[in-house]
Amino acid sequence: MTAQTAPAPVKEPEHSAPEKRSWWRDDASESMRRNLGLVGVLIALIVVGIITKPDLYSDGAWVRSNIFTILELASVIGVVTVGMTFVIIGGGIDLSVGAIIALAGVWSTTLATQDLGPGGMIFCALAVGIGVGVVNGILISYGRLVAFIATLAMLVAARGLAAQLSDKQTQVSNSDFINGLAANDFLGVPVLVYILAAVVAAGWVLLNRTTFGRRTVAVGGNPEAARLAGINVKRHTLLLYALSGLCCGIAAIMLTSQANSAQAAMANLYELDAIAAAIIGGTLLSGGRGTIIGSLLGVLVFSTITNLFAINNLSTEVQNMVKGGIIVAAVLVQQVQFKSLSQFFAKNNKITTS
Amino acid sequence: MKHAPDLSRRRMLLGGAALGAGALLTACTSNEPDEPSGGGAQTVAAGSNGNAAPGEKVTIGFSAPAADHGWIAAITKNAKAQAGTYSDVEFKTVEAGGDAAAQRAALQTLIAQKPSIIVLLPHDGKELNAFGLEAMEAGIPVVNLDRAFPDPLAYRLQIKGDNYGMGVSAAHYIIEQMKAKNVASPVIGEIAGMDELELTQERSKGFTDTLTQAGFKVANRRAARFTADTGQQEAASLLQALPKMDALWNHDDDQGIGVLAAITQANRSEFIMVGGAGSLKAIQDIQADKSVLKATVTYSPSMASSAISLARLIAQNKGMSDLVELQVPKEIILASETITKENASNYLKLGF
Amino acid sequence: MTETTEDQSAEVVLRLTDVVKTFPGVRALDGVQLEVRAGEVHCLLGQNGAGKSTLIKVLAGVHRPDEGQIEWLGQDFAPANPQAAMKAGIATIYQELDLVEDLSVSENAFLGHEPRAFGFVRRGFMARHTREILGKLGHAEIPPSRLVRSLPAAGKQVVSMARALSHDARLIIMDEPSAVLAHDEVANLFRIIRGLTAQGIAVIYISHRLEEIREIGDRVTVLKDGRTTAANLPARSTPTRDLVSRMTGRTIEYVFPEPVPAVSGAEELLRVEGLTRSGEFADVSLTVHSGEIVGIAGLVGSGRSELLETIFGARRSEAGTVRMAGKVLRPGSVSAAVRAGLGMAPEERKSQALLLGEPIYRNVTLSTFSEYARAGFTNAGREIDEANRIADQLDLRPRDVRRAVRTLSGGNQQKVVVGRWLLGDTRLLLLDEPTRGVDVGARAELYQVIRDLAAQGVGVLLVSSEVPEVLGLADRVLVMREGRMVHEAPAGQIDEDTVLDLVMAGSLQVEEVTI
Ligand SMILES: Nc1ncnc2c1ncn2[C@@H]1O[C@H](COP(=O)(O)OP(=O)(O)OP(=O)(O)O)[C@@H](O)[C@H]1O
Ligand SMILES: [Mg+2]
Repeated sequence: MTAQTAPAPVKEPEHSAPEKRSWWRDDASESMRRNLGLVGVLIALIVVGIITKPDLYSDGAWVRSNIFTILELASVIGVVTVGMTFVIIGGGIDLSVGAIIALAGVWSTTLATQDLGPGGMIFCALAVGIGVGVVNGILISYGRLVAFIATLAMLVAARGLAAQLSDKQTQVSNSDFINGLAANDFLGVPVLVYILAAVVAAGWVLLNRTTFGRRTVAVGGNPEAARLAGINVKRHTLLLYALSGLCCGIAAIMLTSQANSAQAAMANLYELDAIAAAIIGGTLLSGGRGTIIGSLLGVLVFSTITNLFAINNLSTEVQNMVKGGIIVAAVLVQQVQFKSLSQFFAKNNKITTS
Repeated sequence: MKHAPDLSRRRMLLGGAALGAGALLTACTSNEPDEPSGGGAQTVAAGSNGNAAPGEKVTIGFSAPAADHGWIAAITKNAKAQAGTYSDVEFKTVEAGGDAAAQRAALQTLIAQKPSIIVLLPHDGKELNAFGLEAMEAGIPVVNLDRAFPDPLAYRLQIKGDNYGMGVSAAHYIIEQMKAKNVASPVIGEIAGMDELELTQERSKGFTDTLTQAGFKVANRRAARFTADTGQQEAASLLQALPKMDALWNHDDDQGIGVLAAITQANRSEFIMVGGAGSLKAIQDIQADKSVLKATVTYSPSMASSAISLARLIAQNKGMSDLVELQVPKEIILASETITKENASNYLKLGF
Repeated sequence: MTETTEDQSAEVVLRLTDVVKTFPGVRALDGVQLEVRAGEVHCLLGQNGAGKSTLIKVLAGVHRPDEGQIEWLGQDFAPANPQAAMKAGIATIYQELDLVEDLSVSENAFLGHEPRAFGFVRRGFMARHTREILGKLGHAEIPPSRLVRSLPAAGKQVVSMARALSHDARLIIMDEPSAVLAHDEVANLFRIIRGLTAQGIAVIYISHRLEEIREIGDRVTVLKDGRTTAANLPARSTPTRDLVSRMTGRTIEYVFPEPVPAVSGAEELLRVEGLTRSGEFADVSLTVHSGEIVGIAGLVGSGRSELLETIFGARRSEAGTVRMAGKVLRPGSVSAAVRAGLGMAPEERKSQALLLGEPIYRNVTLSTFSEYARAGFTNAGREIDEANRIADQLDLRPRDVRRAVRTLSGGNQQKVVVGRWLLGDTRLLLLDEPTRGVDVGARAELYQVIRDLAAQGVGVLLVSSEVPEVLGLADRVLVMREGRMVHEAPAGQIDEDTVLDLVMAGSLQVEEVTI
């Protein structure tokens, strides 16, 4: 079970039988340790920020608004990454997320859609997202295309359609409601941050508490076992891509509201950011393992790095190089940490038991 | 696998809902405005001089990258519209695809159709230089739009904007405003376009060179990617980095939509902003004077209209009637103009 | 349970008539008859590839039969998918462990039929139930929330069992459940099976171990090449000779090859000193000489497999050395071990040893193909020849080495793994459960092959849960318990009971013989 299931309502028996054999060794908290490693990386990044920009960090109001800036920067990718995490845990990959966002964004900002008001725009974005996701899912589970190829094709096609619809123009959103999502606060917290929190929470519950989520792990971890257990693997796979599409639809609205506009080139390379965030967060690229909290932390690490570079006025080139380095470092840190900790525990265990 | 019968009703309902949604969605693809508005193509009014009179029939081949940016879209649109104003011009356009290689292939098919002259906005001037040479050798004059060929033999006419000059104009405007407001050492931000492009580097260089002369410097510079969403993200970061700012130059009005959104979202208004390129929306915003956007420096896609006019003259072997020379000059660099509230109305028709 | 379980009046719950199932190129089932009564343990016997697993997959709704009738509880039965079979009351424990590593014990037990409310898993309910079932299985110490990934093979088998019990089944099918179990676990399994049959639940039991069938079975049906060759034989009284001849069409005595008297002063090949990995095994020292077969007996979980993997370099030792012909091997380096002449056939063949999608011959030549290659180009013809030689030696069925390994029966896959190391110049062979899932006939052949290798001077270090196998095949026996070597003796000087006493924890003699 994942680390986040700690507050489970089930009470384990207190005694938990003195380890009968050495083979029941605990590694259930591995993902927890991993996540702690990521939190460590986050803290380190912030400390670097404090050291390099003490003047800014000494201002409480600025720090507060900076936290929200980081969260808002993370919000769109965060929502996409939740969907991506499900797809990857389920043994797939979705390269078309950026393109789906562009298509959904463009579709929901055409003049005809804008005439329908914000409700129509939101419906449009979600419907397009789910629709494209379903097409991906059908191609992959019933058409037996490799996920990589199917979604790569979708990436190209969806961006093409988006360019066609928008006539390559930037479509300005005139809806105050949509634009207000990014501009407004509720109880001092930006609306986009609420949306991110809601999607992450829903994703966590879906993954850890529902049959759908647990079956996702089964489908990705051991498809044959899932099939033998009576799970409809194909339909489940289809639903996973639809879920990813839905997340893209939500993200499209958020991004449109941030940029007050949509265009075919928007959300460029979001697929790579989302995949990288999920991997950093401990999701196994081959499927069957991953956590929503880990993915969220992965996204936060990214946006914190971007923020750190911005406030230090470092150039994009340096930023990209260091970003690559930090991705590798974050993964390495987690591994080293995980290994040495488990060894430490193992040794400790021996000393106390012998 | 067989459908269980009890599912079929649910499926039908779902299917119906999906169909309905589909119908609604297809209705949502239209971009036809309800009432006609501005933003049409920029054309040189025909009939204003002697060269407008119909002459020898010419075929103009045209190619521009299939870019997804408003500026390039406007280039194609302008070229087409300008060609449409001449009764003696046949206009042949080829989509240039996604990269230089695709454009080269597209141009080959264009050559096969034996046009009198080719107007070309290359993906990359260096990569398509060889094509220019080849066409010129084959006797087809080439008009290069905006992205210069390094080899002077590769083109008959080059018409381009002034990237360095844009930076200079933006800096001049900011310096002037700061002097007027008596700000001795202003905090200046810059949001550039795609950093790997040479034109971005030229713009930034013009900007910093001019600022330096006045003793000013850029406090923070972020590079976006010519799209509104990246503009918003970089601007949000920049605003966070500079809690107080006096002036901001944004290279591109298309990404400026996002930059302005970020500024609204951050509730900031203590500085002035200068745009770049001169989109219709930016010019309207400047005219309305309700945002921090006070000026924009042009890099106008109207150059495509001019290029078509001049290409026609070259093909018909005519000169520009206002010049004494009998032939069209070899190189034209458009000056980067500064659009402010005062002169905005003159530029509305050039906005894209 | 009384001795007389042959209750002829018990109702027939399952009847198969002329069932046929073909795969591309193979007629896996070619007219099978089977009759199972309520409350009986019905054993299926047959060689590797005879069609036993295919038969139960047909019953479980995984495959659909091409021809024939299945009658379940008096009605025609054609499960469209595994779920339908489970709903009808047929639960299956598959030969290959079918668990999801990253789900918990209880989630695995209830996979596909989770108790739920509005799509939410009723975790409390599920955990309670799982704990109950595990208690029944005698494994209350496994917490339901534990990730299956952290369980060893035997623990996983328990979870598979728990899954079968989580259904309200009238028939439980077990495909070689004892293959991964240690001796005491098998006894436990039998206790559970007796409990089930007492409730009137029927059990179909597949095993290659005749002694198990004698102990637990009521009636036996024998399959050969997809056909029923004998039905409803009494499990206890049918002579072994009969059973074997119906399975194989010939008579094989289930015997071990004659041990060759050890050459005195044979070269010492492997010397392990003080090898330690915390939590797995500690301070292990042993030697293997050229031409010698050394067997390690011990319970599953006593650290035997981990020890072999560490010697082979697949795990890195924390302390101690491994010497091959006097040279110290770099710890944690498989390539160093292979260069020094070590070969290993691991326990978990699917995940550790086979490229399932690749043809048999590529799997057999996996560690030697570069020797046949010329200038970087592989020599498929030569590889196929070599693989054919091995296939003959091991009686691989079907005998087509171009088939994908995935399509082989479980026992035949095991032969491929062992066969790999019969090629090339392996000087020391590490075998972890080499005969798991291998049928009686092939088993005797495999023993002969191992013995022949030893006669050629190859050293063999063998791990097996089957004590008779260790005693019968090895020249020298080591006993391992909880990560430590507790005893060492020449094979002739130790008997099965002594070994069993030694491997169980808490036995009095153990303290005395501890080295
Ligand atoms: N999916 C498949 N595709 C093709 N052939 C298959 C497939 N599954 C099984 N077979 C073939 O069907 C035959 C019967 O296999 P099965 O697994 O039923 O044997 P088994 O009796 O269970 O043997 P074992 O004792 O080794 O487990 C074998 O020849 C095998 O190669
Ligand atoms: Mg089998």
